[in-house]
Formats: sequence, C-alpha cells, structure tokens
Amino acid sequence: MAGLNRRNFMKFGIASGALLAAGEGLKSQALAGTVKLQMGGKDFNFKTGTERKAIPTACWSCVTRCAAMGFVEDGRLVKMESNPESIRTLGKMCSKGQSGPNDVYFPDRILYPMKRVGKRGEGKWKRITWDTALTELSGRMKKLRDNGHPEKFMFHYGRMKASSSKLIKSVFLANYGTGTISGHTSICEGGKWVAQELTWGKHYDNWDFDKTKFVLNFGSNIQEAHTNHIPTSQRLIRAKVERGVRTVTFDVRYSNTAAKSDEWIPIKPGTDGAVVLAICNVIMKNNLYDKSFFKFIRATENVNASADEKISALKSHLSKYTPKWAEKITGVSASKIESTAKEFAKAKPAVVISYRGAVAHYNGNDTERGCQMLAAITGNIDNPGGRCRGIGPHWKYPKGPKDKPKAKKLKLAHGFPGTVAYPNHGVCQQVLPMIKDGKAGRPEIYMWYCHNPVYVNGDNQGNREVLKDEKMIPFTVTSNIVYDESSKLADMILPDATYLERWDWEDMVSPNQVPEYYIRQALIKPLGEARDLGDVVIELAEKMGMPLGVGSTKEEYVKKSHEMTAKAVKGFPGFDYMKKHGVWHDPNAKPKYYSHKKEIKADKLKDAILDEATGVYWNPKKAHAKNPEKGYAETKKAYKGYVGQKIGEKVYKSFPPDKVNKSGYLELYSALLKKKGFAPLPTYYPIPEHEKMKPDELHLTTYKVAVHVHSRSTHRKWLSEIYHDNPGWMNPKTAADRGIKDGDKIKVKSPIGEIVTNARVTEKIVPGVIAISYHVGREESGRYGSGRKSPVAGGANDNDPDLKNKFWDTYGMHPNWIIPNSDDPINGQQRWMDTVVTVTRA
Amino acid sequence: MEKNKKTKDIPETARQRSNIYGLLTLIYRAEVTKELLKHIRDPEFLSVLSDMGAKLEDDFLTGPEDELIEDLAVEYARLFLGPAKHISPHESIHHDTGDGDWGQFWGKSTVEVKKFIETAGLEYKSEYTGLPDHISVELEFMQEAARREAQAREENDSEGLLYCLKMEKKFIDEHLAKWIPIFCDIVISQAELPFYREMAEVTKHFIEFEKDEINKYISEAGTVLSPDR
Repeated sequence: MAGLNRRNFMKFGIASGALLAAGEGLKSQALAGTVKLQMGGKDFNFKTGTERKAIPTACWSCVTRCAAMGFVEDGRLVKMESNPESIRTLGKMCSKGQSGPNDVYFPDRILYPMKRVGKRGEGKWKRITWDTALTELSGRMKKLRDNGHPEKFMFHYGRMKASSSKLIKSVFLANYGTGTISGHTSICEGGKWVAQELTWGKHYDNWDFDKTKFVLNFGSNIQEAHTNHIPTSQRLIRAKVERGVRTVTFDVRYSNTAAKSDEWIPIKPGTDGAVVLAICNVIMKNNLYDKSFFKFIRATENVNASADEKISALKSHLSKYTPKWAEKITGVSASKIESTAKEFAKAKPAVVISYRGAVAHYNGNDTERGCQMLAAITGNIDNPGGRCRGIGPHWKYPKGPKDKPKAKKLKLAHGFPGTVAYPNHGVCQQVLPMIKDGKAGRPEIYMWYCHNPVYVNGDNQGNREVLKDEKMIPFTVTSNIVYDESSKLADMILPDATYLERWDWEDMVSPNQVPEYYIRQALIKPLGEARDLGDVVIELAEKMGMPLGVGSTKEEYVKKSHEMTAKAVKGFPGFDYMKKHGVWHDPNAKPKYYSHKKEIKADKLKDAILDEATGVYWNPKKAHAKNPEKGYAETKKAYKGYVGQKIGEKVYKSFPPDKVNKSGYLELYSALLKKKGFAPLPTYYPIPEHEKMKPDELHLTTYKVAVHVHSRSTHRKWLSEIYHDNPGWMNPKTAADRGIKDGDKIKVKSPIGEIVTNARVTEKIVPGVIAISYHVGREESGRYGSGRKSPVAGGANDNDPDLKNKFWDTYGMHPNWIIPNSDDPINGQQRWMDTVVTVTRA
Repeated sequence: MEKNKKTKDIPETARQRSNIYGLLTLIYRAEVTKELLKHIRDPEFLSVLSDMGAKLEDDFLTGPEDELIEDLAVEYARLFLGPAKHISPHESIHHDTGDGDWGQFWGKSTVEVKKFIETAGLEYKSEYTGLPDHISVELEFMQEAARREAQAREENDSEGLLYCLKMEKKFIDEHLAKWIPIFCDIVISQAELPFYREMAEVTKHFIEFEKDEINKYISEAGTVLSPDR
C-alpha cells in the first residue's frame, strides 16, 4: 500500500471523523468515561506497566505532619506526594516528605525483634520472636506494677502525637500506672511555649501570612525548618510574590530565610530580646501603639488598671531600652531599630515571628515574651494578618478503662529541683543526668520511642555513659526502625513500623485558622516483622492482664475515633470518606480570629466564683479545688476551672490560661514570674557565659537544614545525597584572626569537650561565631548516614543498586558532643545557642 | 516560528488519529451494518481509501446492499468468530509474552490491557460482553487517548500532553504493535472479501506508522515543554 503516508492518513482521519460524526447509529462502545491524566490522585507507572494506587495518608518526617498521598504499585511504595485536597499544604510537599520510601526500604532497617548478647553496647545481637520479646517485656513491667512500682518503668519519646500519643500515653501508660514519662519538647522549642503560656495561655502561634502586610522575624528559619513548615513557608513566599509583603529577618546566620527576606539584619547571638524591647520602646514612646487592645493586656500589678495606666507603665518600663542602648548590645544600629519599629507599627496588620534562633538561649523566655508584647501593643494578636492562636481539629477518641490507677512517677522529667521556674514542657535534656544523679530515683526499665537520647541532647558522651551503665538502668528497650547511637545501647530492640505503615488520626495546626481533620493510613504492610508501637502496646496490655478495650489494633482505635468524632463534629463525614480523601474541613467554617473578644454570658458564670485578686471567674469544682478560699492563683491547677476574665463590667473569654494559673489577660505583667523572683515585665537578661567571654572565644550556634529531620533521616539516601557534611561556618574576619582558611581542619573546644571538623569560611555568618548544623555526624544510622552497616538481622541488603551510586564518604561532625545540657531558668528550654568555644586549626 | 506552526498543527493530527482509531473500532467491533456500509460507500470516503491504496472491488461498491451486508457478516464470522478455525481478534492469542503465558484466552496480556485501561480512568461497560483485550477495545482505547491528547494540546496543558503521549506510546509499544500487525497479516492472507483484507492492510500500516510517529510527537512535546521546566 504505497499510499499509506502521513498525508493520506490525515485525509483518512478526516473522512473517518465525518463518518463517525454522521453515524449516530454507529455508536458501539465497550468503554465508558474519559481518559484521565492523573497528576495527583491516580498514577500509572510507564516503566513497569503497573497501576499505581494512590492512598491518602500523612507525612511524619517533621512535626508539620503534612497530609500526603502514597503511591503503591504491586504492594510496593514507590512515591510520596502531597494531598492536593489539603487546605494546609495546598498540594505541596518538601524533600523530606518525598523521601518517605527511603524510610521504608533503606537497607539497614531493623526488621526483627533483637536481643543483646554479651555486654550492653558491645554490638552482639540475636534475633528473637515477638512472642519472646513481649513476654519478657510484659513480664518485667508486670512485676514492677505488681510490686507497686509502675513508676520504675520510664517511657521517653521524641515525637508522639495525635492518636499515637492518646493510645500509648493516655490509654496504655495511664492504665499501667506510670507517670515517669518524658517528651522531647525542651530540646525543641518548649521555652517558646512556656513564654506563651505565661502571656496568652495555650501555646502555639500561627502567623497569618495570607493577610499580613509586614513580617518581622527573630531567629525563625521558616523557609527551611519550622513546626508548620510547608503550610507556612509557601504562604510567606506567596505573600511576598503576589502582594510584595516585606520581610525583615534578624539572625546571626544568613539562612535561606534571611536570603528570601527583603532585609537580613545580622545580630549578635542571644541579643534578639534587646532589639525587641527597643522596638517596643520606640512604638510606645512615639504613641504608635493600638490603644484599643490594651483592654485585654495586663501591664501592672493592679488587674483593674485603665488603658492609660497600662500604657504609662509600659512606657516607664521600656524607657531604659532605647535604640542606642540596644545598638551597643546587639550590633544593630539605633537608626535601623527605630525605622523597623515604625515600619512594623504602621503596617497594619503586621506579624512578628520568632523561633529557636531567638528562643533557645538563657534569656529566651523574655525574648518570646517581648515578641508577644510587640504583637500586643500594636494590636497584632489573633487578628487577620497577625500573630494568631493556633487552630487545630478536635478529634474524639476512646480513652480506655474508666478506672485508671493514680499514676506514680519518678520526678525525672522536669529538671533538677529548684532549677527551672516553669518547666511546663519538661526539661528532657536532664533526664539522663538526673538518672545518673540518682536522687530522684532510677527507672528499672527505660524505654524510648521515636527518640535517640544519646545523640539529640547535649553532652553526648555523658548521655552515653548513663545509658550504657547496667547498674544505673537495669533494662533498656526501644522501638525503632534504625540502629542508631541509642539503640546500640538497648537490651532489646523492637522493630517499629515506619509512619507509612501505620494508622493515625492527625491534628496539626492550620495556617489559615480553619481546622483540618486528616489521617494517616498504612500504605503497605510493615516490612519484615516490624510493628507499630500502637499495636504492640495493645498486646502488651493483654499480656499483663489489663486489656485496654479500645480495639485490637491501632487501625480499630483510629476507626472508633472517627465514629466518635462523627457524632460530635457537625458535618464530619466519617471513616470511609477519610480513607478515600485523607482530609476534611468544614466548608462553611470561617477563619477563627479574635476569640478573646467573646463575652461570657451570665448563665455560664453560675457555677463560677470571682477571684478579686486576678479578676478571674473560675469554677473550683471543675478545677477539683479542695480549698477554693485560697484563691485562684494559689490553688493547684486552678486554671482548669477558668471561665472568663472580668474586664470593666463585662466578662470575656479573653486569653484562657493553660498549664499555669495566670489571669485571663494577655499578661505582659506576669505575677507568676514575680512570685518566682523574675521581673514581671519582659526584661533583657544578658547571658552569663557571654558576659565573661575572652577575646579569642566564639559563640557556637546550631541550625537545621531543609532536607533533614532532626536525628532521624540520614539513613534516607535521597536526603543524605543532598546533605551529608556540616563544616563549621566562620566569617572571613573570624577565620583570618585564627589563621584559618576555607576547608581547613579545625578543633572546636568547649568547657565539656572538643570536636574536630572543617571550616567553611563565608560572609553568611556574623563575626565572632561558629555555626554548625546537626542532623549529620552519625556513629550509626546505616551506610548512607554513617558509612556503617547495622549489625542486625533483617536489614543489610546489599542489593540496593544505589549503593554503587553513593559518591560521598564524609559524614559530618555532630556539635552536641561539646554543647552542655543547660536550661533556661524560667522555662527549661535547652540552651542550644549559648555555648562558648575556642576554635583553632587542628 | 517554525516550531510554533508545527505544534499548532498537532491538535488536528491528534483528532484525526483518534478518528481513524474510531473507524477501525467500528470495523472490528461487529459485523458491518447498513448504516456503516452507507458511509463507507460514500464517494468521498472511498476516494480517501483509494488514495491510500485500499482497493475495494466494484461489486462492493455497486452490488445490492442486503446481499453485501450478508456476505460481509459471513466473512466477519468466518474470520473472527468461528465456530470453525478462525483468527481470534484478541491480544492474548497472538502476543508472545516470552513467558509462555499466551496463546489462549484471558492470558497475561488480557490482564495487563484491562488494568491499563482501567487505570487510565475508563471502565468496561456492563453491556459489553466481549473480552477485555478484543482488538476493537484496544483501538477504542486509543481513540479515547488521542482525543484526550488533542484536548491537552488545545488547553496548552504541556505536562498533561506529555503524560498522555507517553501513555499512548506505552500502549502502542507494549500492546498494539506486539500483535496487531501479526494478526493483520493472517487476516490479509485468509480474507476472501477485499473489504476485510484491505482494512487489515490499513490497520497494520497505521499501527506501524503510529509506532514511529508517537516518538516524534513525544520529542516535539518535550522540546516545547523544556523552556518552561
């Protein structure tokens, strides 16, 4: 057929088209529907010719916990994407989230229960069955409980949220009877939360970038790392690109957030608070404040002070914090402080943001209180475009047996006695030092989960010595996916399911003030014999003869939570819908702002009494108060009975307290701090170590990078390929003074030890500082993270073809070996950024 | 400019390709109906067929309609339906998958084709009683895919377009081209009436043509896409 060419085929096509169009009776279709080009919901693998099943789930790489979509092909997880239906993520996902499949399939993953053989830490292991493992663990736990000492079972977790937290902590551990439980918040941002609890009550500030006009940043690296990273960073970029919103970043380091700001203002470490106070000074002095918001502020001892009295008190307090004063301390020019203050006050609305760069210091508590003050005096609190109170979903969930024992506990989680005024979020960096100390008792079983206590706290060597000592802790057990610095010191390792193999309901804060309900579905069956700790504790409870009654699996627990939530939350569509869509929000919900303005009606006050000293209406019964006559402030956990704040002749919801008995005002004046001997109004405290620095000494500061998860991602090859080394950043001037050139080997020495690493000489760091990130510098964490294979059965698959492509053989140096465990005296925050070091050529 | 002109022509090409697949679908789906015959006998349509070198003999063009319909139905049954020895128009009969899982109904290819089509978002209608890998279903799938491709082009959805083209290529490479030319050769050798012989010729060459051309479409789409990526 010589005529079969493109031209004739096209003519044939036209003729065929005419024929098809003309002939209604010719329709004879076998197929229905239209071909869909799926980019987010369904997929097809052209390489393998296999259908990909898209399953909504949630990430767990960082605490943001983005709604996600997992793509499964022939039972294998091949790809992670965002869930395009999520109002939080708007279909975006970071590299950490996308590297999810690595977490499941990395060759050094622990797949079977393991028991140590030989001495603790020697590295000799044998495989045991789950039944053997849980029989031994439950036997040890039951013995403690039967002997009346459940508190000798200590549980220490790195991250446990939403349904995992409820099932393991509120149901299992509560039913068992131990209160010896520690989280990890004080090595994260616990200090920030305490400062918020001392000012506006329940913690978490959401920054409303969608509606703001100006962003003032103290030490937040929001474009690379934030507890609500992808939902907020993209909104900040959008605000900049679409609306030209200006961002000014104060930081010691030219982070990628500083780089994406309109201005980077370098500042001396630990002095952010001085700038914040000087900015407040300029605003008050120039009468640029928002008087209307002062109604909700407490600024004096007298809770009934007028707005003018409050203004006058603040003016007076701030008068010493002039821009010129701050210039000497911070290195930021007085004129820049002055202009920034005026710009912030005039841009309505504006948002002040802050994180660990500003907060993880000796004086971090009052830096954060200062940020709250700046937002409050300009009326940028819980308003569209300002610093808003975090909004999340309210799941209902099974709470297990009603009659739980009164928890017994060893006081190991809140720091050495008398060292921290308000350790509301624990002082977890002191858990191992306190076990060593022994005065608060020692656990007989120490179990950790999603945690690496040796590596993630300060003083790694000290931590290791405690955990290794069988006399201090007779039995150690962990649930983990990877052999790391701590699990090598376990007596028993339970192979954990990854987050992609388990069920949860999830509840992280929404960036747009509308709560989003979302879930995590198991995308695949856990590899090998790995099991979710949520499932394991249900079995442990059975073995100890204390059934939890919440279902036989975590999946059932999550399902029951859906059923309960569907009854309580209007419009909530239930489990089948959530399994299909992964996310839900009330389409009629309006963004939540200004909840402090809500008036409390008389009928709500009928069981409440007025505490004249604070102006708080509270319900003593609800607070389980035995002697209400002691007053609100002096009654233990009286805040649980808070009803409203009397302001003038009315009662408002105002700013309800959480964890401490503050009044319902936004307390810039804190009677609670005064009681503990601290200044009641936000105050600048110089950092003692920094005051004593010698000319040759430097500040050591640390930071996160965008592509790693704390201590939990170096085994993910896609991430370690991008970031696997962490030389110390030094300014050219600082380096030249020490004869150090870019790439030189350097020795960094602190009061507790020294490390050897390499120098990166760069203008992206202020003089007088060395900045070393963490994440890397691993002793273990598999061959991608440390170059070492895990000596455990089940892993060690040498067939990963990417092993041939691994081009790097440098693994970095962890700075925590030389950072001591030390606390903010007000809130217990680990002072990551205060260490003083000397740096010399090695 | 040249590139722009080229890409502008292509939505039309995709439409015409879809039409051809549509017509071939009709031809293999069932016996020729009166209505189809009427359209095929249309002088314009015949002249296009003739340009391609498809030769339909005079009696096909002029003979009594009812008789011709009858003859074609007998031929269709003889070739494609049996009950005696026939040329089964199903992929799994002809597609040597290299692992022995072929040569009978509902083989490996059948499963793959069904999965492929369903994954692409289509479903088999309940009234369709045939097997999933019948030649007419595979052609109909391509009709829909090319139609979707044309839409992506019209909407300037460059990523969608590339997705669609890759999907088409995969289906052509792994299914159509693996068996339809072989099937057509047998039909050509066994057909007694020129209609099915000539249609098998057209089908065979069209699939071979498609197998080559789809690579060009992909490379053109990739070039257009690349400056934006």
